[in-house]
Amino acid sequence: MLLLQAALWRCRSGKLPGTVCRYLQSMKDRPKGNTPLESVRMVVFDTETTGFDLKTDGVISIGAVAINGLSINVADSFEVLVRQDRVGRSEAVAVHGLLKKDIAGGAGEVEAAEAFLEYIGSSILVAQHASFDVAMLNRILSETFRIRLFNGVVDTASLAKRLEKGPYYNLAHKAGEYRLDHLCQRYGIRLYDRHTAAGDAFLTAQLLQRLLSKGRSAGITTAGRLLMQ
Amino acid sequence: MPSNTIVERVAADLSKYPPFDKLAPEVLGELASAVSVSYHEEGELLFKKDDPLKGAAFMVMKGAVKLYDRIDGEEVLVDLYDEGDVFGVRAIFGGHGYLLYAQVAEESLIYDIPVGKIKELIAADAGVSMFFAGEFAKSVQEIERTLSSAFSLRRQGAPGPSCSSFLEHETLEVKPVVNVVTCPEDISVREAAVIMAECNIGSILVVSPEGHPRGIITDTDLRKKVVAVSGPVNERPVRDIMSSPVYTITGGKTVADMVMLMVKTKLRHFCITLDGTIDTPVRGIISEHDIITSEGNNPAVIMKEIMAAEGVEQFKAERDKAENLLGTYMSQNVAVHFMTSIITEINDAIITRAIRTTIAALQAEGRPLPSVPFSWLSLGSEGRKEQLLRTDQDNALLYADPEESERESVREFFLELARRVTGMLEGAGFVRCPAEVMASNPKWCLPLTEWKSCFRRWIETPEPKAVMHSTIFFDFRPVYGDGALAGELKRDVFESIARGRGFLEFFAKNALQNPPPLGFFRNFMVEKSRDHANEFDIKSRAMMPLADAARVLSYQLRIPEYFSTVERFRRIGELEPALSGLCLEAAAAYEFLMKLRALNGLEHSSSGRYIKPESLNKLDRQMLRNVFTTIGEIQQTLNLRFQLDYIRD
Repeated sequence: MLLLQAALWRCRSGKLPGTVCRYLQSMKDRPKGNTPLESVRMVVFDTETTGFDLKTDGVISIGAVAINGLSINVADSFEVLVRQDRVGRSEAVAVHGLLKKDIAGGAGEVEAAEAFLEYIGSSILVAQHASFDVAMLNRILSETFRIRLFNGVVDTASLAKRLEKGPYYNLAHKAGEYRLDHLCQRYGIRLYDRHTAAGDAFLTAQLLQRLLSKGRSAGITTAGRLLMQ
Repeated sequence: MPSNTIVERVAADLSKYPPFDKLAPEVLGELASAVSVSYHEEGELLFKKDDPLKGAAFMVMKGAVKLYDRIDGEEVLVDLYDEGDVFGVRAIFGGHGYLLYAQVAEESLIYDIPVGKIKELIAADAGVSMFFAGEFAKSVQEIERTLSSAFSLRRQGAPGPSCSSFLEHETLEVKPVVNVVTCPEDISVREAAVIMAECNIGSILVVSPEGHPRGIITDTDLRKKVVAVSGPVNERPVRDIMSSPVYTITGGKTVADMVMLMVKTKLRHFCITLDGTIDTPVRGIISEHDIITSEGNNPAVIMKEIMAAEGVEQFKAERDKAENLLGTYMSQNVAVHFMTSIITEINDAIITRAIRTTIAALQAEGRPLPSVPFSWLSLGSEGRKEQLLRTDQDNALLYADPEESERESVREFFLELARRVTGMLEGAGFVRCPAEVMASNPKWCLPLTEWKSCFRRWIETPEPKAVMHSTIFFDFRPVYGDGALAGELKRDVFESIARGRGFLEFFAKNALQNPPPLGFFRNFMVEKSRDHANEFDIKSRAMMPLADAARVLSYQLRIPEYFSTVERFRRIGELEPALSGLCLEAAAAYEFLMKLRALNGLEHSSSGRYIKPESLNKLDRQMLRNVFTTIGEIQQTLNLRFQLDYIRD
């Protein structure tokens, strides 16, 4: 937590913008280990990127929706397009279908990240293959503010694996089975709006609801149990 | 600012179902952004009776939720909600708490729509306000109906007042129902509803101790007034909600009188008293239903016209009239067997008249009827007396074996007769059979010996085409001419089947070709062929499996009558007590399917065969789901009975 302490210290000396500072300060309200999941705000999100290289590729959109009291709150959702010079050259364009001109009207990368921080606060973050999305955001945050995300993070692919096969199953063997499409199919979720950040976030949120429902019988009822802390 | 993509997604889901299907995009978007999406597992209780009302109404997006009550510790199902249905609307209208239990019947995705948003919409949009008022009324009414039928089931066995039948109304005078069900003014609304449910009647007369009419309670009153009055209306006396005074008349009114009166007063129930005033005792009651079912274009009149018809145009006109009559019957919820028997009579009358006219015409041309007896056979659904709407012709001609010397001339005569008759039927709106299964085809216009050997061949060598023919031809029924010939043919078929081992197994195997759709209704298989993508073929997927099974069993049990599928199931149930319950279910299922198909056909001016699942109302969907279960059980019975699992294709 040294990084958080250091960042808060820079806030006090006015070296970080207000949005970032409010985010950092909210960390003291992070859900406790024994907080029941019904009272936890979870933010399910997805990022679309120009590619999969953390160094050379960038974020082009972020979509997210919150789960409060285990219900998906449409009103409490988030979507931002990011202006990105790298777009147009990458083959990823074909996947997410965003054109250069769409992106041109988007927010700057840093501006988008700040808005996202403001939206998430201390909520538990949830994403499909979360480590990649978190790493992408952390790159922006560390380059600009020398901070990273301090939230608890849940990966739906790992959670599904944990519920289906137990916590020590090696995911690498059958990674395909835990792709979002496959999971949705397996849990009876209708696929639509695939490959837009918000669309995928909404699907992932529905997946999370089913996983949490399954998890309840396995004793996953609190924030601590969910995050395996 | 919420995510546009997600709001649009939710809006698109909402807009698939009423009342949100008619909203402007901005309004819909605003509503969608207020929605919460919740997921529930099977068995979860969403709310309990007397629970305080929640802040939202619910729309099922996936899965199913059942609403039930508990009576004497027993669960009484009031309604089942599936995809697109809205429940929990009581929250919008207020009150102390929920009236029923809501439990997840199948894992469900539910959109919670905040009450505040719905109230805004109700204030702004007439369509939405009508919808929710109606939904609310419906839910109350459904509770009433379901509960009262639950009560009446409990009291089954107690003799109830008899309910009158349609067939009494053949004369021009409208016969009133004289066995009028009445109740005193001070019994509760609930008690009155119970009596109505027990007698299966849509109205009940409220009378004074002297038997003078004081008022009337109809289904409509229950719907409108029980809802409109606040508080527990069920226990209030009936006098609070009855329509009063009752319109009274004297007896002996004709159809014309009654139609005039109905138009003039816009009333639907008329009470007959001793002197026609409300101050003398009740003698009878006439409802709109009685008037319409005995109206001037009644089947007897149509039959008379057909038998006097001179040409094809008149056949068509009368048959069109019959179809209109059918529409009226449908709207009046007249029993299916009554409708099919009338339509069969009318179709048979057209065939008979066409044959007689043709024989007379041939005679006039110097071609007298040969001396051998003959019989005109209807096949397929017409043979089973199951046609409601006109479909293609399936017919054949059977004649006694002529002397060898007359063979050719007799064959020539009957072929010419058949050509002309099928032509006339075509003119009357019965399309030619595309497979040419018609008496005008030389293959199907044969003397008895040839018919027998033809049927024997099919039975001895049940290759696929023979089995297919059997399904059509084994439903033959003599419509005109010598019935003894057809009887002789049927006896021969029974004997051939008894001799030829294996035929029934193939026949039964064929009946299992179309398994019923499995699983939940929304997911039932729709046809993949291009013309009818997204439609359900009710004929091949639901009706044929039942008709086929009934045919197999009636040939196994050697039932000699020319029965319909429903009659076959009833008889099979009598002959095989172990199957009686299932057979009664199958008979009811088949009647329901015939009606559903006819309604669909009348609506789309088609054969009614292809149904869009989403066009069905919830009740029909539930019924259909039960029907599929019954079909599955019937097929399982055939499978066991003929040990079909051991037969290889």
